[in-house]
Amino acid sequence: MRWLIRKVSRRRKGAVSIEDDTHFGEVLTIGRGADQAIFLSDLKVALNHATLSRLANGKYQLESLSPGGVRINGMIEQQATLAIGAKIEVAQTLISIVEPPRGVDAAVELSAIEGPTSQEKILSRAQATSLASTKLSKRRPAWIAFFATLLLCLLIPATSHFLPGIETVTRKLHLAGLTSWTSGAMAAPHQFFGQECRSCHAQAFVSTRNQECVSCHAETTAHADPVKFDMPILQDQSCADCHKDHNGPEALIRAEQRLCTDCHMNLPTRTQGRSRLATVTDFGAGHPQFQVSLAAWSAKGQFAPQRVPIDRKGLSENSGLKFPHDKHLVADLNSPSGRKQLQCSSCHALEPGGAKMLPVDFEPMCQECHQLNFDTKIPTRQVPHGKVAEVIFMLEGFYSKRALEGGWMDTTAPAVVRSRRRPGVDPALSSAQRTEALSWARSRSAQVATSLFEGRACVTCHTVSRTVDDTTGEPNWAIAPVRVAGVWFPKSQFTHRKHETMACAECHQAATSKTSNDVLMPPIENCRECHAGEESKTQVATACTSCHGFHLDGQAKMSALAGGQTLKSSFDTLLGKPK
Amino acid sequence: MHGTFLNHSRFRYLWVALAISVISIIAYIWHDPIPRPNGGTWLGYTLGTLGVVIILWLTWFGIRKRRYSSSFGTLKGWLSAHVYLGTSLIVITLLHTGFQMGWNIHSVALVLMLMVIFSGFFGVWAYLRFPEAITQNRQNATREAMLAEIAELNQQSLQLADQAGTKVHGRVTASIERTQIGGSFWRQLFPKDASAGAFLDVRKTLESMERKDSTIDTQNLPTMFVMVDALASQIGSKEQDALRKLVDVLSRKKSLTGSVSRDIQLKAMMDVWLYIHVPVTFALLAALIAHVVAVFFYW
Repeated sequence: MRWLIRKVSRRRKGAVSIEDDTHFGEVLTIGRGADQAIFLSDLKVALNHATLSRLANGKYQLESLSPGGVRINGMIEQQATLAIGAKIEVAQTLISIVEPPRGVDAAVELSAIEGPTSQEKILSRAQATSLASTKLSKRRPAWIAFFATLLLCLLIPATSHFLPGIETVTRKLHLAGLTSWTSGAMAAPHQFFGQECRSCHAQAFVSTRNQECVSCHAETTAHADPVKFDMPILQDQSCADCHKDHNGPEALIRAEQRLCTDCHMNLPTRTQGRSRLATVTDFGAGHPQFQVSLAAWSAKGQFAPQRVPIDRKGLSENSGLKFPHDKHLVADLNSPSGRKQLQCSSCHALEPGGAKMLPVDFEPMCQECHQLNFDTKIPTRQVPHGKVAEVIFMLEGFYSKRALEGGWMDTTAPAVVRSRRRPGVDPALSSAQRTEALSWARSRSAQVATSLFEGRACVTCHTVSRTVDDTTGEPNWAIAPVRVAGVWFPKSQFTHRKHETMACAECHQAATSKTSNDVLMPPIENCRECHAGEESKTQVATACTSCHGFHLDGQAKMSALAGGQTLKSSFDTLLGKPK
Repeated sequence: MHGTFLNHSRFRYLWVALAISVISIIAYIWHDPIPRPNGGTWLGYTLGTLGVVIILWLTWFGIRKRRYSSSFGTLKGWLSAHVYLGTSLIVITLLHTGFQMGWNIHSVALVLMLMVIFSGFFGVWAYLRFPEAITQNRQNATREAMLAEIAELNQQSLQLADQAGTKVHGRVTASIERTQIGGSFWRQLFPKDASAGAFLDVRKTLESMERKDSTIDTQNLPTMFVMVDALASQIGSKEQDALRKLVDVLSRKKSLTGSVSRDIQLKAMMDVWLYIHVPVTFALLAALIAHVVAVFFYW
């Protein structure tokens, strides 16, 4: 086999000199030994460094005889099958396999490696010896990180505000869109539209406006009359000043005492006398005595309850009823069904909501003892617990029927009333007989009514006054109006059910009350035995909103008051400046 | 720790940072906003503004440190302030958030900032620890001198190996070929440690000698001088002399390459944290812009 060994040496100024050599043999030996086909004098080369042979299929086989191997196309190999164009590095010499010219079986080209060899690069500055000289830079990742973050965190969300279509896309791709701007968990009632930022944040760079709130909360009422109290601190507040969302599921309705007391301090001065409400600073330390609403009527006869402090001397309720609680709460009370002990709950039952008491009713609660029977002959028969006229009507009807039927064995009655008549056998009453019978019935009714109204029944509880009809001379009665103060404290919320662990007597001194004029409502001191202001650590911490609401019944609707808010007005609110 | 950036000007910036942190904490405790502390209260905005100003100023350090002609404070003073004020940002920003975190861009900014600060802590540690280690490792030589000596030793070892026979020469050229110093980012930080492999080679060689088997797997022999002793027993005394010299040369070379690798590694450790510190700072700047714009966009 005929090998062509071409040595290419580069001279100065780009001149190239070529020296051809021919080698006969199956194998081309490479090494530092004198007998080598390719002789390389470099000490790094072994005496017998490697062999190159041509395979039948036109490929070449290189075998390293040195354990250090040979660098082929940049990689160290012990053995490799090569094609034309392969580059073999041995020390400082590059051996390339080239296309053999005509008349030769195989050809290699030898050239000196200019500059450092791969190995020398390792020991020179060409090999990276500091992080700064590696491919990894700081600048490029820094700019990529900057623009990627800006795109994801700012540009995509901001454009989705103006182009909702983008948000549809980001949501489908589960990308962080507009909702990634949320500053915290939504309040529980707002969560169902919490993904729709624009439903509250309608305009960019404008804080949430009241009109967005009242688009749902149309029925919410104001705190005070906007005409009477046209003050910046009331009228220029936005809903969001108190109701700050994005602060967790429970943070929307605030109970902080100072939200109220900031204003309810010296209110008459602050309002230039338009409000006369007393100063409130704290339930435990600075709250006026409770006021009860006592039933009263105006000169025109309209119901106009009077607000009276509960500790006023001589406080007296005028309900129109006589009811000594003490007599009813004694042990072994005599009753038709035997001796019994009445409880508060015998008469006072909670309404289903648990806040207030159901009204006391005569029939289920009083009548078992206070029966309205009127005639010993029929002791089970009772007059209704109703209007005077109904009672008289019922009595007259009752006695007229007895008188006309006859057989009413009353010694004071005339014979026509007492005699028995068999229907269909005995002749009908004559006109004179009927007149006599009905006359008796009327006088008997009046007699019984007088006894009921003035003697033993009605007057027990009611104040009854008697009148006489000028024309007929017949007596009539008037029952004083009854008005039990159903709601003693209409300006606060009190729930009996929440206080079920307590005995009634802890608040209501009923057992010693001898008259229904006593107001059995507890004064503030009673509540303060357990409750104190919101800061209290030893008692039940009680904020204003435990009993009072901010949005008051009867005030104008917020939807009528809501106005727009601008960036400036929001800034003013933040800095506490009046607008 | 005499005269480092930490105790610069008698800890002046430590006291400044502590004062800012303590004042922020006191204000946070005293302030009792409704409904709860958050970035949207006046204190929240104040701490947030302070945080932004400090972050921008800390970022400016990257520019200041390249302005060699600047005489506005010493660079050491700037670094001292950079470290201490950067640390105080943890307090300022956490109080700014009111400890409200969530899956949102605001928390992204916070997390990026913490990444920057904690990578900076590694940098502080590296700057305090490694310069001394580098000096110790170099033992009064420079890296260039060590590299020159390695090249010289390579040449010597080749000459000695040539006298010791073909096999030894092969091992030595392989050893030179496979010596690696520096290289990729990863390789600089974690240079190949040949000692474990060398130990395995010793054992393997001894075992093969006991079996009187001189065929040695040449593929797995990066450390030549261990081999040399084993081979010395099998060859003549003229070669033995060359071999003993070769052992010394290779041993010296191994120690030098180790030192250079360690030098490169230590230097890389001093730089590597910057590959997090700097790019994440840029991400933080973008997140901060997004945070501020978003807050006022939907405020």
